[in-house]
Amino acid sequence: MTRLGAVGLVAAVVTALVLPLFLKGYGIYLLSMWAVLTIAALGLNLTLGYAGQVSLAQGAFVGLGAYTVALLMQAGWPFPVAFVCAVLLCFVIGWGLGYPALRVQHHYLAFVTLAFNTLVFLVLRNEEWLTHGIYGVSGIMRPALLGLSLGKPLAYYYFCLGMLALVAFGLWWMIRSPWGRAFVALRENPVRALSLGLDTRRYTLMAFAIGSSLGGVAGALYAPLVQFIEPNSFALGLSFNLLLMVIVGGSGYFYGPFLGALVSVLLPEWLRVTQGYYLIVYAAAIMFMMAVCPTGLFGLAQRAARALRTKRAPAAAALQAERTRP
Amino acid sequence: MTPVLQVSNLRKSFGGITAVDGVSFEVREGEILGIIGPNGSGKSTLFNCVLGQLAPSDGEVRIDGKPTTGMRPCDLNRLGVSRTFQLLQVFPQLSVRDNLILAGQEHKGTMASRLFGAADAGLGGQAAQMIDFFRLAHVADEPAGSLSYGQQKLLDAAMAFMAGPRLVLLDEPAGGVNLTMLANLRERLQAYHREQKATFVVIEHQMEFVMALCTRVVVLAEGRIIAEGLPQDIRKNPVVIEAYLGH
Repeated sequence: MTRLGAVGLVAAVVTALVLPLFLKGYGIYLLSMWAVLTIAALGLNLTLGYAGQVSLAQGAFVGLGAYTVALLMQAGWPFPVAFVCAVLLCFVIGWGLGYPALRVQHHYLAFVTLAFNTLVFLVLRNEEWLTHGIYGVSGIMRPALLGLSLGKPLAYYYFCLGMLALVAFGLWWMIRSPWGRAFVALRENPVRALSLGLDTRRYTLMAFAIGSSLGGVAGALYAPLVQFIEPNSFALGLSFNLLLMVIVGGSGYFYGPFLGALVSVLLPEWLRVTQGYYLIVYAAAIMFMMAVCPTGLFGLAQRAARALRTKRAPAAAALQAERTRP
Repeated sequence: MTPVLQVSNLRKSFGGITAVDGVSFEVREGEILGIIGPNGSGKSTLFNCVLGQLAPSDGEVRIDGKPTTGMRPCDLNRLGVSRTFQLLQVFPQLSVRDNLILAGQEHKGTMASRLFGAADAGLGGQAAQMIDFFRLAHVADEPAGSLSYGQQKLLDAAMAFMAGPRLVLLDEPAGGVNLTMLANLRERLQAYHREQKATFVVIEHQMEFVMALCTRVVVLAEGRIIAEGLPQDIRKNPVVIEAYLGH
């Protein structure tokens, strides 16, 4: 990591720890939402950004996680058990959703996963005996951790932040391990990967299962955060939103989802002054950004850093250009 | 002694076209077998059938006497069969070093040890050796996509050798490589062959390269073997000259 990157990381961590102390309820709620959605986006970034498997179903896994936790807690199960069940369920279903990816890719896979998202939404809405249909599940309690109540917004925020830190560390470890290399190989050239002994089938399924289970983690934290869930929250809109977070932050960049989720959570709030026009402004901003920088904010930052370096060492850059000439 | 690779009566049709039409040959331990033939004579299809990328319509492939027809490429690779591709196939966004580590990592340990173990899967040293051997040290940490074509060809070959394979199938290693780089590549291949006692099968159009490298040559035309023998004899064979220049 460069010096600049390290400074940025430390600054971000300090801000995440200290900022909520100066915020009121709604601000803390927004930050908690950021932490939760970042976890889901990190999962999608693994599936899509690293392993190159298009998924438009991440929102459905957030829903599955949220409903699993809400319903199990309502049935009297303790939060940690419900949490583990939610994550395992999403892992298993995500593994299953990976099978179509062994046959179809790109936009065809996007449609398969889109259909799956709709299917989950319909189950949540129509299977009233299980999910209470459009009435949703209300009165979801925030859990206690080691005797400490997480009922207060600030306490729950730190809990979400802690979970985010755990998830981020786990993912960071995985991505720097041979698995991370294998996932990138899957994205860049699956045929060659196969000829180098990579069991591309297993890695594809793993990418889906792990990415989806992180959607489950996010959902399991989301339910106690909002304390009321209903099927509409987990319709296609959420999946698109999560996809947007990954792309805006920078698909395949480790820190991309952190930034993407921040933009997605905060921008609508800042654009409130425009009143009814905020969605229009938001959409236009996204279109503009995609046109000038398809690699997302981190891609932009990397380009800027490279340009700076080039200015500093033009001779080295010229040599580099010489070498890369075909 | 059992041949390293034994292909018997291999056939592959695509619809009405028979790309490989009953090909049989053997490759003995330590040999460098050249496969030559005009464009469309079925060389690459033959490779793809041997390596499990395509399912043959008929016939059998044996490696060390064991039937391997229908095995997946990744399982074959772990048996010690490695390949390079006709068109460049490196991972452009990974560094040269990571390309090499990737090429070896699936041969070590289990899925779990690859997740929880060292980031370089214990292959850092071997990758560094390979980088030196193929003279890629000055670009070792650059993304493979930024290398010149010839350097990527070298990397491609280096990747095929990373797991210490017994049998390497090289599909047009010299294609599009300039003369200086070509001499370098040939010398590296010969050095590797000498040091590791590996067996090579090489598809190539560049005649000088084949003649200098191979110990025996098989000539394919229209999916069939039309000649087989020592390089110097093949060069003079009227049937071969006819196949290349005729029609």
